[in-house]
Amino acid sequence: MAYNVVGKSVPRYDLPEKLTGESKYAGDIKLPGMLHAKVLRSPHPHARILSIDASAAEALTGVHAVLTPFNTPTGRVAPDLAILDTTVRFVGDEVAAVAADSEDAAQEALASIKVEYEVLPFVTDPREAIKSYATAIHSGGNLIGGEPLILSRGNIEEGFAEADLVVEESFTTPAHAGAALEPRVAVASWDGDRLTVWKSSRGVHADKLSLASALQIGQENVHVIGPTMGAGYGNKDETRLAAIVSALAKSAGRPVRLELTREEEFVAGRKRHSTETTVKVGVKNDGTVTAIHTITLMDTGAYLSSGPGVVRRAGQGALYLYRCANVQYDGYLTYTNQPSGGSYRALGAPQGHFALESTMEKVAEALGMDSLEFRLKNHVGPEGQPGERITPADQIIDTQPVEGGVPFSSNGLQQCLELGSEAIDWQGRHERNANQSGSRLRGVGMGMFIYRGGPGTPTNAWMTLNADGTLQVTAGTMDVGEGNSTAIPQMVAEELGVAYEDVKVLFGDSDITPEAPITSGSTATFSTGQAALNATKELKSKILAAASESMGMPANNLEIANGVVKAKDGIASMTLAEVAAITGQIRTEASLTPGSTDFIVNSFGAHFAEVEVDTVTGNVDVLHYVAAHDSGNVINPQLATNQVEGGVSQMLGFALTEQMLTDPGSGVTLNGSFLEHKGATIQEFPNIDVIFADVYDPVGPFGMKALGEPPNIGVAPAIINAIYDAIGVRIHDLPATPDKILDALDRKEREGRA
Amino acid sequence: MVGVRSHVTLNVNQAPLDIEIDHRWTLLHVLRDELGLTGAKRGCDRGECGACTVLLDGKPICSCQMLAMQVGDRQVTTIESLGDSSNLNPIQQAFLDKDGGQCGFCTPGFLLSTKALLDSNANPSEWDIRNGLAGNLCRCNAYGRIIESVKEAARLIAEG
Repeated sequence: MAYNVVGKSVPRYDLPEKLTGESKYAGDIKLPGMLHAKVLRSPHPHARILSIDASAAEALTGVHAVLTPFNTPTGRVAPDLAILDTTVRFVGDEVAAVAADSEDAAQEALASIKVEYEVLPFVTDPREAIKSYATAIHSGGNLIGGEPLILSRGNIEEGFAEADLVVEESFTTPAHAGAALEPRVAVASWDGDRLTVWKSSRGVHADKLSLASALQIGQENVHVIGPTMGAGYGNKDETRLAAIVSALAKSAGRPVRLELTREEEFVAGRKRHSTETTVKVGVKNDGTVTAIHTITLMDTGAYLSSGPGVVRRAGQGALYLYRCANVQYDGYLTYTNQPSGGSYRALGAPQGHFALESTMEKVAEALGMDSLEFRLKNHVGPEGQPGERITPADQIIDTQPVEGGVPFSSNGLQQCLELGSEAIDWQGRHERNANQSGSRLRGVGMGMFIYRGGPGTPTNAWMTLNADGTLQVTAGTMDVGEGNSTAIPQMVAEELGVAYEDVKVLFGDSDITPEAPITSGSTATFSTGQAALNATKELKSKILAAASESMGMPANNLEIANGVVKAKDGIASMTLAEVAAITGQIRTEASLTPGSTDFIVNSFGAHFAEVEVDTVTGNVDVLHYVAAHDSGNVINPQLATNQVEGGVSQMLGFALTEQMLTDPGSGVTLNGSFLEHKGATIQEFPNIDVIFADVYDPVGPFGMKALGEPPNIGVAPAIINAIYDAIGVRIHDLPATPDKILDALDRKEREGRA
Repeated sequence: MVGVRSHVTLNVNQAPLDIEIDHRWTLLHVLRDELGLTGAKRGCDRGECGACTVLLDGKPICSCQMLAMQVGDRQVTTIESLGDSSNLNPIQQAFLDKDGGQCGFCTPGFLLSTKALLDSNANPSEWDIRNGLAGNLCRCNAYGRIIESVKEAARLIAEG
């Protein structure tokens, strides 16, 4: 389909200001009389705070407020999270906070706060944490919900009974920090009873609700502004910091600012959850998959945060990526005295797909089948899974379904497999890597994936034709760096028949934008974009109606092109400014619950990697990477390419180098820095081919589907399978650091000799 | 905690500024909190990420790793001295055209490292680009588009 704006690589909406230093991030907010806060953190992994003597700190010059669990509002930031609590649950948990004239003065004051702790037993191992005798970190026990999440379709016992071959493998993934370059920042200011907060945010309306709950004030008294976001990766949704500065600001009677240090970010920011997963697959000799049973134990650390959503997402690949009548997923989510888990781009999907796609590689090998052929034979098709639909016919289908009998709105997985394997030259891989000698060995690997996304929760948007003829799209969503503030005005401009540059964007301010969900789960452009499109359609008909009356022509003879209303078959025309001069400002509003009653809306992809493993150093170089995605019709190819390349490179860290480490004996975080939790730099950025399948989704606005998170999912499977192809050893525990690779090679050599 | 203070003259963006500074303040602190030049970002405050990059006599440095007192009479160049958003300079234009950033937090640092690279090497190879920008982290990992942006900047500058 030919469009004027959709499908064009227009410049990122907010990039000009980012290129000049004019963009204001939360850390750039400076208010008159603003104080600076620092947080006292727990040295114990688990302790009760018996008393706090802050009198010496309060007496220091320049100190204006000290917040402790004993003088804090007692509302909840989240069901298991107070602003400050008399129990601390990990090393680094917030104990108290000081607001002072400078960061130095606040830091110095922390040293004079005396805390009396009753040290409690602690547990840092999730396997221990779920045992009945383990110390309870919250009332209600450590295993969330008291039982595992069990999701199933068909009957796995019957499925395994049908199998000729059963393969079972176990894998672990570590805690992994989002590590956005912008540390978490919050600034709070009170005007009487009304609170204004500026914070690194991915959802100003959700933050508003959480702050109102924590501070025990009315929602109408909370105004949250999300300045430019120094990236989220889904990872900045907690509001505890904002609640702390709000309480400090109330107490001090002055605005207060708190910015985490880099080490605090690594310790007290939220992590990708560590997991231990076992996948058991039954297949027939012809390669037909008869049963898949997956069990995941996931560590949410000290607080629940988004854990339930993450553990659910970890099972989705195992439940739905392969055509199979008999599947079951058991997800165990547990508290421990580790730093808290949280949402991080693609939630549990990278962990789950790593285990699944590593196991499937082994299944194909055991069958003597090429693993691409195995996936082409078994991947879920456009018709969905076998079985009967359970969702009533008039209800929106869950984007993470378990049931069979429901087709996808579109499914380009086969295209992704075919196009991607061609680009990496899958068929020629063994020939070109045959007869390798020396210490550097090459191999090729792949992994495919499925991801929910697109339809999210109910959302709203407004479209405004201002009295001067200018246009604005207003929504409560946040652009977290991924570019929805570019893609949404592109769709609006296309629908209305104006230039992209003519649509202004107002997002991320809870006072002047309509309610919207947090930018999460790759839903923002799809959901809020559809709401914006609906509001645009109504605005367009109002503009045409007004022009029709003024021009004396039927509205259905009029169209808008290049920002001008004109007769389809004549030369009569009116500019939007001329229409607005007659109508005055017009604002249209749209609300919707996104999704489909007929189809599952999912994104797909297949990733391929060619690596070279140095068998002397254990180092892995990525020589060539192919990322083939079905995200429906691509709204902005350049931004989409950037999103995919960025996700791939970000997750090379997850596959090869990055992990948060704590000392099991003390709970202390050992590597809170960019140098020790080391991700890819521009030096390691590989040669990446990005391919988009030719798919136009019938449900998504302008045929698009989710793209934000999917690039992160396929990386670990492709890399780990490529390492196996190169050196014949399989890494079961991420990241595949050089020491693990060398250990595995040693083991293989010893076994070979034995 | 009160530190020793001195009056100094700092040459920032080709303008001499008389300012009283605490001897313990970093150049980054002075730029952001005393002079209001917030384009340089505090990503780690320990010289690991490069978000605070400014040029000192044309060479990129981490401004969080230098005390303002150490600057002396050297010239400090910050992102604010490049073009503004209605009048981008060729490096900025190239980063806009090639989408050389996502969240933008690291972007000022990358632009200044690019300026230093292209001022000393008008026609860098890809290896030169990767080497010249190795001190700047981008957690969005927009490195592919950044490399394309630097190539485009070199081309725009050569065209004049």
